Amino acid sequence: MDEPDASRQQRNGPAADTRMHGVFTDADTGRLTYALSLSDSCLAVQRINPPSSPPSSSSEHLDLRDCLGSRAHRGEREDQGAYLCAYFYPYRRRWMSSSPVRQRDERRFRLVLNTEDNNDDDEEEEEEEDVNLREAERWARAIRNNTARSTGNTHGVLFSEVGRPCGVMVLVNPQSGRGQAMALYNGHVQRMLTEADIPHTLVITERPNHARDLVRNADLTQWDALVILSGDGLLFEVVNGLMERQDWEKAIQTPLGILPGGSGNALAASLHYYTRASPVCGEDLLTSCGFQLCKGQTSALDLISIRLSSGARLFSFLSLAWGFVADVDIESEQFRQIGDLRFLLGTLVRLASLRVYQGKLAFLPAENQPETHSGENQLLDHLLVPLDQPVPQDWTVVEEREFVLVLAMFQSHLSEDLTAAPDARSDDGTMHLLYVTAGISRAALLRLFRAMQSGTHLDLGCPHLVYRRARALRLEPLSPAGVMTVDGERVEYGPVQAQVHRGVARLIAT
Amino acid sequence: MGGTASKLPKDLLSEYQELTFLTKQEILLAHKRFSELQGRENGPYSSRVSMEKVLTLPELKSNPFRKRICHVFSTSDLRDGSLTFEDFLDLLSAFSDSATLEIKSHYAFRIFDFDDDGTLDARDLEKLVNCLTGETDDTRLTVEEMRQLISNILEESDIDKDGTVNLSEFQHVISRSPDFVSSFKIVL
Repeated sequence: MDEPDASRQQRNGPAADTRMHGVFTDADTGRLTYALSLSDSCLAVQRINPPSSPPSSSSEHLDLRDCLGSRAHRGEREDQGAYLCAYFYPYRRRWMSSSPVRQRDERRFRLVLNTEDNNDDDEEEEEEEDVNLREAERWARAIRNNTARSTGNTHGVLFSEVGRPCGVMVLVNPQSGRGQAMALYNGHVQRMLTEADIPHTLVITERPNHARDLVRNADLTQWDALVILSGDGLLFEVVNGLMERQDWEKAIQTPLGILPGGSGNALAASLHYYTRASPVCGEDLLTSCGFQLCKGQTSALDLISIRLSSGARLFSFLSLAWGFVADVDIESEQFRQIGDLRFLLGTLVRLASLRVYQGKLAFLPAENQPETHSGENQLLDHLLVPLDQPVPQDWTVVEEREFVLVLAMFQSHLSEDLTAAPDARSDDGTMHLLYVTAGISRAALLRLFRAMQSGTHLDLGCPHLVYRRARALRLEPLSPAGVMTVDGERVEYGPVQAQVHRGVARLIAT
Repeated sequence: MGGTASKLPKDLLSEYQELTFLTKQEILLAHKRFSELQGRENGPYSSRVSMEKVLTLPELKSNPFRKRICHVFSTSDLRDGSLTFEDFLDLLSAFSDSATLEIKSHYAFRIFDFDDDGTLDARDLEKLVNCLTGETDDTRLTVEEMRQLISNILEESDIDKDGTVNLSEFQHVISRSPDFVSSFKIVL
């Protein structure tokens, strides 16, 4: 046995990769014996058959990158053994769907170290229990340690930072997703956070703008991260609440997590998409996002400053839409499977009464504006001029004045299964502008949205669809009535300008 | 025929303003256009224009539901989609800017109810989808896609689970569509 001394490791600070070997039995029956071997990247589990049987070749390698956490605990009452649990979420294929999806795989083992004596003395029994527990805890610590190291460091790992984390605020709108959000918390989220050893506090929002007010006034030093278990609308409130603070510059650096709570899960779907995993929905999407959250890596998030005609300023992270936007009706999200035609009655009716919107559109092409930082005050909208002035020279003014829809995407997904901007990323500092000019037939528009489910609409060669990368835009509707949405929420209808600010906020995402 | 436009009597004009969502200007314009369809001025107000003639109007010509629209607003005993001037006003009124969500959704429902049996069943929905997807092979849905779509629609909209969408279920779906009112419009 060649395990390094655990106590020496702790004195020396963050440990080198622990390698350990040990023999365990399965936790349920105790009849199967396993040799466990922990390396820097995986936990190998080798079944050792009883000596009378031929040697088994079944050896599993559990990748630590799929691991969320590990813990040890005592047995009950007379059970002198200790238990080691490790929680993995590997990609697995279910037989019905053809693509791999993260699924929970809890491994439990029982440990009893061989002792020479077989004493009935109480004191010695307790000691034996303690010895087993200490060994199991040593394993759990080692697994957690190696897991944290195997995650790798990109922008920083949130939960393995020095000292005990304060914890995470989980904001839930209980009405979200037809009231599913709390069930999802109880059934999945709470368990994952516990497995990953992340202390958290559940905060239930009671009305619109409750989250916004809360976040505006909260003592952010108490929280490692703010997690939204709800739809995009709640995160919108949180982002805008943070930006309304005096200390917004620091406040907006608070890492933000999103867990799809049942309605309006475009951001969650986008984050999942960026991992390059196959598309998933429903509980599988929740598992994927929950896993990313517990891994605690952070990345940057672009914020788009949106200036409405009333003078109000909003910060957006998802989209700005005008005109025919299918699936504005976000409540019907639960009625679809991947690959199936997703349109529902509301969309068909909207398609049936297709109308055209008059307006003027202008934008600053991305190639005309390489990345620059505007100086000390990073949030000055330096690319925008007042509405009563013409747009700057280097902007493109769109000739057409009649549109079916104008969509500025800041993430890849418009809704859980519409990949409107397949090339978008959360920190690419770019607006992905899509517009459809009048004259498109209903059939062609339907085809477009069908293709959007697989992100292939740009390959259709539809002459009415235009896609441009931009840094800023100005949209002036001329039609008297219509709908404009920011991040899926309706905003006042009128002329609007927007500019991207790269990487202002922080997301918890791989 | 004479060069002067026919005049709508004042009392009829006020009556029409009361009974429809249309403004005075809209009614007068409708009268002018309808007379042109009739091919003569001062025509009796109860005489009908054939559906064929009505469908020559540019505002209806390219609407995939133009025939259903005529059928729904026609009061003809022959069920031939022909319209009197008053039928025509009813049509424009329902499709006008001022008509309410209830009125519009009521008429939308009747337009999509292809077999006129008071509910939207799978066959009606299939016809609706085909109107929208077009007739060519590459735009039409496959049998399986159609089946799945109709199943999804019914699951979403059919609250009492009787296999069809009735008026109130339909109106419930429409009420969640923020710009239905401004989209469901025909203006001369």
